[in-house]
Amino acid sequence: MRILLVEDDAGTAADIARALSAAGHLVSHVADGKQGLMEAIGGGFEVLVVDRMLPGLDGLGLVRALRAAGVATPALMLTARASLGDRVEGLDAGADDYLPKPFALPELLARVNALGRRPAAMAQEATVLRVADLEMDLLRRTVTRAGQRIDLQPREWRLLEYLLRHAGRVVTRSMLLEGVWDIHFDPRTSVVETHVSRLRAKLGEPHLIQTLRGAGYTIRPPDP
Amino acid sequence: MTALRRWAGTTGFRITLLHLALTLLGTLLLAGIGYWATSRFAVRQIAAEIERDVGVLLNAARLGGVPSLALSIEARIAADRGGTQFFLLSGPDGGRIAGNLALAPRQAGWSSIEVDTAREDSVMLAFGTALPANHFLLVGRDLAPVRALEAQLLGAAGWVGGAAILLALGGGLLVGRGVARRAASMERALAQVEEGRMEVRLDARPGGDEFDQLARRVNATLDRLQGTMEALRQVSDDIAHDLRTPLTRLRRRLESMEGAEEAVAECDRILEIFAALLRIAEVESGARRAAFAPVALDEVCATVAELYAPAAHENGQILVAQIDHGPAIQGDRELLVQMLANLVENAIRHGRADGTVRLTLEGQAITVADDGPGIPAEARDQVFRRFHRLEASRTTPGTGLGLALVAAVAELHGMRITLEDAQPGLRVRVAW
Repeated sequence: MRILLVEDDAGTAADIARALSAAGHLVSHVADGKQGLMEAIGGGFEVLVVDRMLPGLDGLGLVRALRAAGVATPALMLTARASLGDRVEGLDAGADDYLPKPFALPELLARVNALGRRPAAMAQEATVLRVADLEMDLLRRTVTRAGQRIDLQPREWRLLEYLLRHAGRVVTRSMLLEGVWDIHFDPRTSVVETHVSRLRAKLGEPHLIQTLRGAGYTIRPPDP
Repeated sequence: MTALRRWAGTTGFRITLLHLALTLLGTLLLAGIGYWATSRFAVRQIAAEIERDVGVLLNAARLGGVPSLALSIEARIAADRGGTQFFLLSGPDGGRIAGNLALAPRQAGWSSIEVDTAREDSVMLAFGTALPANHFLLVGRDLAPVRALEAQLLGAAGWVGGAAILLALGGGLLVGRGVARRAASMERALAQVEEGRMEVRLDARPGGDEFDQLARRVNATLDRLQGTMEALRQVSDDIAHDLRTPLTRLRRRLESMEGAEEAVAECDRILEIFAALLRIAEVESGARRAAFAPVALDEVCATVAELYAPAAHENGQILVAQIDHGPAIQGDRELLVQMLANLVENAIRHGRADGTVRLTLEGQAITVADDGPGIPAEARDQVFRRFHRLEASRTTPGTGLGLALVAAVAELHGMRITLEDAQPGLRVRVAW
């Protein structure tokens, strides 16, 4: 993917650019908000990664101006502020996701990937989500594995739906906490891990949900 | 009744009362002085008339002797239509020669004599004077007109006093209500500020009275406070940015090195403490209050219970949730979830390995109880302090900030936290 990175801290920018490039993305980096806005309007990017605090024009202003100009390129906003209201502010301004610093690079990668392939490939109207022989019918609200029906609790349903909607991609612990539980802090206890392993066990062998150490989880067909 | 009692405690009421008392005092003083002066003046006038009469009569006696005096007296009595003049001329034997008075004691000079025993208050002012050859003349005038005047004065004073009381009450109420209204509007504005709306200011007319001056002073203080808060926010932003960014870079460098897992974990711990401190500071500042919205606590409890149930199970524990449905409260869902999560996490971490953790929402209280070793009564007050950790838990992971955040969130929502003995174990009760 072509990614525009707008970040004024050279060290952080270099780290992010390196990680994104290593994951096979094409990264353009600018350090200034106004320049970032011009580049973003110029187009050709699939994802924008914008720091909130920037010289010239800050991240909020950048995204707001971009949306006002009718540019819908998904934007991930980064911030060093720990403030609670900031996320809401960022999303209100038109950002699609919000990641507080410090973050682990795998978290950033997972979120950029989730944003990047969202619109076209992810048909929002899909009524059946499928991975290998696992099927989730959103209309009939049934889950089957190789034709065998599996009963899920409401939360397990939402967890599986989230994983399936991001099938083949990495979802992180905090993405799951936000998407499934609407919880925006990281509990110390490995609560997500226990929920995921329960679901994994319920779905049966061979396991479809893989744990990627230090990164998160992914649902994909079992390795042959 | 309570409204009346509340009003009795206000400045308006005190001003009204004071105003009333002062007006009353002033009216009474004025009326008293007027009464005293007028009645004295009237008595003096009567005395002057008596003196004039005595002078005229003595003159008649000198010129024509006793018979002339007696004639004069009779003529005066005949001319007195009002019947307010009294005379007595007595001879050497003490018998009455002329006059309309019964025999009276021969007292020279001024005296007050009762005229008619049947009539109350019928006192006359009299002047007695000895004449040659042991004759005695007494000239008196009824004081009834003075008494009537006094009565009229008293009546007038009553009317004036009544009117003054009404005016004072009205004026006091008016002034008091004005004061009360200004004070109430100030109080409302300051309550909004207390709720975290730092941009609210008091009304202050340019120029204006003491209230406007006070309001301007309060506004200036609020400006300053807001400036300080913004500066503090800026500082935390700077700290967040300038310290966390290099720390994050450091963590990333370490991450890419072989065998530096412990250093990475240590970095994470520092960053975590940072985040927790900044968050506690933000909660304590009250700024989040501005974003309060209705929060269904039963949903919050259910979410947290559901989130932690498998983790408790993994730990060999059972998480029992007993959640009553209740009305929503005004609050910050995110913070309330975190508060409850911290409490449940603590209960799981410090509870008995194969024990039970209970989460209860009942009435206006949430309780989280474990059946672990609990906390000795004398140590309970300290656990909400920042970085405080009981000796026994030094070896378990944790920043020592979890309960400090719990305390800050509870305080923000006006909730009280109490630690109780669950016999065995610890029960944390959050009530509002």
